[in-house]
Amino acid sequence: MKKSIVTLILVSLFSFGFSNETYEKAMSLSIEKLFQAKTIPENVEVANQFERISKTEKTEWLPLYYASFAYIMISYQESDNAKKDQFLDQAQKYLDQAMAIDPNESELYMLQGFLYPSRINIDPMNRGMVYMADMNKSLDKALELNPDNPRVYYLRATMTFHMPEAYGGGAAKALPLYQVAADKFKVFKPKTAISPNWGKEICDAEFKNVQEALKK
Amino acid sequence: MKTYIVILTFLFLLSGVSAQVRLSGKVTDQKQMPLGGANIFLQGSYDGASTDSLGNFSFKTGLKGIQYLSATFIGYKPILRKLDLDSTKTIVLNFVLEETGGQSNEVMINAGAFEASDEKKAVMLRLFDIATTPSAQGDIFGALGSLPGVQKVGEDGRVFVRGGEGYETKTFMDGMLVETPYLSRMPDMPTRGRYSPMLFSGTLFSTGAYSAEYGQALSSIVDMKTNAPETEDKSSVSIMSVGIMGSTSKCWKNSSLSLSGDYVTSGLSNKINKQQVDWIKSPVGIDGTVMYRQKTGKTGMYKFFGTFNNSTSGMIYPNTQTGEKQNILLNGSNVYLNNTYNNMLGEKWMIKSGLVWNYDNQKFDLDNDQVVTNQKMIQAKFGFINFINDQTELKFGADWVNYSYEQKIRMNGNFRLPFSNNQLSGFAEMEYKLTKKFATRLGARIENSSLLNQTTFVPRFSGAYKTGNHSQVSLACGQFYQNPEEDYLKFAPQLKAEKADHLVMTWQYQTELRTFRVEGYLKKYSDLVKFTKPLAYDPLDYSNTGSGHAEGIDFFWRDKETFKSTDYWISYSWINARRNYKDYPSAAIPGYVSEHNLSVVYKRFFEKLHTFAAVTYSFASSRPYHDPNFSGFMNSKTNPYNDISLSLTYLLKCFGKPAVLHLMVNNLAGFNNVFGYNFTNTPNAAGYYESTPIKSPFVRQTILLISIML
Repeated sequence: MKKSIVTLILVSLFSFGFSNETYEKAMSLSIEKLFQAKTIPENVEVANQFERISKTEKTEWLPLYYASFAYIMISYQESDNAKKDQFLDQAQKYLDQAMAIDPNESELYMLQGFLYPSRINIDPMNRGMVYMADMNKSLDKALELNPDNPRVYYLRATMTFHMPEAYGGGAAKALPLYQVAADKFKVFKPKTAISPNWGKEICDAEFKNVQEALKK
Repeated sequence: MKTYIVILTFLFLLSGVSAQVRLSGKVTDQKQMPLGGANIFLQGSYDGASTDSLGNFSFKTGLKGIQYLSATFIGYKPILRKLDLDSTKTIVLNFVLEETGGQSNEVMINAGAFEASDEKKAVMLRLFDIATTPSAQGDIFGALGSLPGVQKVGEDGRVFVRGGEGYETKTFMDGMLVETPYLSRMPDMPTRGRYSPMLFSGTLFSTGAYSAEYGQALSSIVDMKTNAPETEDKSSVSIMSVGIMGSTSKCWKNSSLSLSGDYVTSGLSNKINKQQVDWIKSPVGIDGTVMYRQKTGKTGMYKFFGTFNNSTSGMIYPNTQTGEKQNILLNGSNVYLNNTYNNMLGEKWMIKSGLVWNYDNQKFDLDNDQVVTNQKMIQAKFGFINFINDQTELKFGADWVNYSYEQKIRMNGNFRLPFSNNQLSGFAEMEYKLTKKFATRLGARIENSSLLNQTTFVPRFSGAYKTGNHSQVSLACGQFYQNPEEDYLKFAPQLKAEKADHLVMTWQYQTELRTFRVEGYLKKYSDLVKFTKPLAYDPLDYSNTGSGHAEGIDFFWRDKETFKSTDYWISYSWINARRNYKDYPSAAIPGYVSEHNLSVVYKRFFEKLHTFAAVTYSFASSRPYHDPNFSGFMNSKTNPYNDISLSLTYLLKCFGKPAVLHLMVNNLAGFNNVFGYNFTNTPNAAGYYESTPIKSPFVRQTILLISIML
């Protein structure tokens, strides 16, 4: 009797550990694929993987976060504007579900801020004003929840860099923002192995470009 | 040791490597076209796969027993299948997915309608477009003038649609009636809308054959949607060459409050811009608006919109008819309160309700005479929408309008002309999508007027068929009744409602950034008010024996894609209209109709100059007028109308705050546009009827404003 109780406890412990391990392993594999994905079908496939994980791990916001991220990437690759919006609707759907799981996660607000520029791209003249305001609100909230989130600083820097000087953009204005972002990336430690940890490379590369552009 | 073996066996079983089942198959749409990128997976596990470009999928699972397999794909309805994984080692199954409704590529009923919205993705015009159209001068109704089907009637300012008069266009706000949408106007001078376009997030403008929800409009409806709750606190101040404006918003978790107001005085501006009017008192206006929005529960929304307005002006009016110069003073006041409440009742039902109160007072002083007009209106409305299924939607409701009118005239004695009316209406409309490509809408409206002692029943029908990915044809028809204008009802309450029949056919091609649209229409008028002498006191002089017709073709092309940072649209309308109404001796082209109307709007953002520039060119062919010096009726024609207007918007920082400097120039080229002529009542000594041209109050008008966000 005693033995079987021990066995049961052990089994439950093991199987718990096992499932957790499966989750993390599946996630790491998918994350790796996500950052290797180049085409729309590759991104869709990896988004589907994250969706499948999310259907089982109903209390985890990360699978939905990455699924949403994949669709934002797809929206940049797609050329048909109507489809772009459809992909962004899908990204927004995953993001909304993730927000419902953890309404106080800085990374989710950061991702929301990352989604809006793609909406703006479709029709800048008409959408610019509305979505810029929404984006800033999301990024403010992301910083409020985690003042050290480097991706927020990076997004601010790159948006500033790409904005016309009339609106307070340009390389000179972006430079100090890149500096802060790069510093934040240097000290950033992701909470877990599968937590968001992207952006350092592109931030450093853009930072370098901006520095060089200003030298000229 | 034994324990470990047990554990290992358990784990082995759990991971299920022992007996795997292979699932494979194909996913297609209803036309057997493969769907690549669909997600196929077993519920409650990670097991699954995406389909390849040929729609094929294949994967293995260790799950046992009864399981559920899901197939999902963007824009399609998900499918769930029950499987028994114990019975076999390989399962092959195919999925046929059905497209979901509500997608942008679905057929939409839109004959006659122009929608401007900030929310919908594919619309033809947005409020921003309206606010930045130079010929509109910031007026919503002015901006509608750049759309096809609208006549240029420079001396009036109201919206004249497809051979209809200004009063035939009715204005609504969140579905509720706006009884007096225009500012009080001086004779032969254009009016403008009372409300700033900034208060609205969308406009539905229908130039014919609209839904049964709308009644009492012979030609057209404009339904303006007020802003959603604000999402951030903000304030702004604007200083204009014609006055000042300010607004502030405060928001809470589920509600928001916005206040805005302005003081407009054209004294300075009238000195700078050469006037063709003798002002005694330059126009002065004061406005205040309160907007309150409250979310109730998950889906409910209460909106309050309250506005107050007072305007005064005075001029010397050369009354050609009598040959006298008259001093006219005008004072108009208006209060409008609009409450609406919408909510979902469960999953399938929605309630829409509203209560509106309007008070309008106009005082005209003509030398020593005076005309005071009071109008009061209350409207209560209830509507329900039942979303029966994906294909079918039923809408029905009722509204009650209590209207009272009183005119007091002091002119060789005191006169009082009052009347009141209770208008009770009911409507029902069913929208049915037979397929994704074919939709129909069938509706009816019943109205009863206590004043006219008349009950009318009218059918409405629309249908639309999708002819391609981006194109569709639509057809709509219906009957429309409208009570005669106050100016006739006050003398002759025995009159009946005027009637119009519409038939509209549309072909439209639309992508996200381009729209092309051709619309042909036929319109028949009957029961129009007719009389022998204008302003006759005798009720028996008025009858419903007038009639008329209008037919034409409208073209609209808008393109935001071809040129970088550029957006332009072109509207052209051709119309053939005749009427025998009012005191016309025979059927003729009414004086407000020009056969050809053209508008070209061009907008471009110059990034390097931080400037947004917009130009409009408007053209209208000659309008007929009656010259008593010649024989025949409506025997003469004005010169064509031309206008070039420009606006420049410069973005800058002012005291560290974002600001906008805005310059508007109307009639840049200084065209001398004449809208018609007024003739003397009696000929001069030489037997000639003298005339004066009816012109715009200014030759060219420049307005400058700076707006600062605080």
